[in-house]
Amino acid sequence: MSESLMTRIARGDDSAVAACIEQYGSLVWAIARRLLRNQSDAEDAVQEIFTDVWRSAHRFDPSAGTEKVFVTTIARRRLIDRIRRVANRVQTESADVLDELGFHTPDTAADVSVEAELAARVLQTLRPEQRKVIELGLLHGLSHSEIAEATNMPLGTVKTFMRRGLIQVREKLGVSVGETEQ
Amino acid sequence: MSARFLENDRLADLLVALETEGLGEEDTRELDRLIADDPGASRDALAGAASAALLAVRVPMQPLPPSLHGRLVEQGRVTVREATAAKVVQLPRREPGTGTDAAPAGSSRLGWYAAAASLLLAVAAWWPRMSTEVPVPVAQAPAEPSYAEKRQQLLDSDSPVVQVAWSGTEDPASQEVGGDVVWDEATQTGYMRFTGLAVNDPGQEQYQLWIFDATRDDRYPVDGGVFDIPPDGGEVVVPINAGIAVREPALFAVTVEQPGGVVVSSRERIVAVAQVAAG
Repeated sequence: MSESLMTRIARGDDSAVAACIEQYGSLVWAIARRLLRNQSDAEDAVQEIFTDVWRSAHRFDPSAGTEKVFVTTIARRRLIDRIRRVANRVQTESADVLDELGFHTPDTAADVSVEAELAARVLQTLRPEQRKVIELGLLHGLSHSEIAEATNMPLGTVKTFMRRGLIQVREKLGVSVGETEQ
Repeated sequence: MSARFLENDRLADLLVALETEGLGEEDTRELDRLIADDPGASRDALAGAASAALLAVRVPMQPLPPSLHGRLVEQGRVTVREATAAKVVQLPRREPGTGTDAAPAGSSRLGWYAAAASLLLAVAAWWPRMSTEVPVPVAQAPAEPSYAEKRQQLLDSDSPVVQVAWSGTEDPASQEVGGDVVWDEATQTGYMRFTGLAVNDPGQEQYQLWIFDATRDDRYPVDGGVFDIPPDGGEVVVPINAGIAVREPALFAVTVEQPGGVVVSSRERIVAVAQVAAG
């Protein structure tokens, strides 16, 4: 099995840097552009994200998930921090705009990563409004209150949908790991 | 795979909020307390699930802008090389009267406080942010050339390098602080030299550099990296590791933060500042 990019980066192999950017640059950029308003902010954010990736590479644990999830987690958290501090949150969008994206099917998600496929399987079982809550929170960067406002759902319902959805995905990922290990 | 700690409604709510909208200081402290009270709980319990769900969204991929791609590769290589090399090199003590790094005397320090009052307000406003898991620099192993030598090479180069002396503050860690910061905009490299900055316990707290860029909003300084002051005394030279490009440095500020550079508290500890002269 070839050495992971994170392992190479953690031991100082700077040739892995370009490979990592080739592998995950478009993904990180796409997420940043979705969550931040302007290109300049997104560029700064992506630089911060990859700086975190280089510094955090030693903490990558392949038994806990793929590199793609590792990088996505760093990107997601950095962007949340940025949105909170810059007050640069994408303004609450209309329901029409919110219909733009949607989720992969498990088949198409399999091309993204094994975790994405498993998450898609869970999300497919959820009610459309619950899927929408998760999408608005994760990809549109809306706070729970903003989701409630955009969807006309009670705040408590939004929180419940988000929580149940993530816990179900977590359980699915956990089961998968267990099955793999057997 | 059951996780009983997720049956704790408040803990689960905070973990969900952490991964979806972020937490304020008070909620972060509460989350830390709840996790500490439950040995089975993990701060990252829902991180993978949130990322997997995000990856399951059909996000149209976009290629990186070429200029950004180039910057990422360049900065990445520098960061990776430096992260695996020594982070700090200790030097022999300075001979008295040498160097240019003594902190200004009281009057100029007072002048700084007056001039920087609005800036410190901006720092305070910016405080509650920061990432969850920014890692770390750390310890030291002599490298060739040393950071002290690299710093000197930078000063000896033809580049118009910024060099500013540190000023202390009223923080106990900063009472005897001296030294300077040098920064080369062209190569985006720089070094901090310290004397008299208190030794820190990396398990308890670490120093972090922030660079205020005149072309950016004062509320959002550039993260210049986390570092430690080892207990052996003498001068310490630390490379600057700016997360993003610094176009026009206006002020360098060193703060005391949680290990790894996470800022979640109201401990507003600024221990050294170096203000770049205007113009």
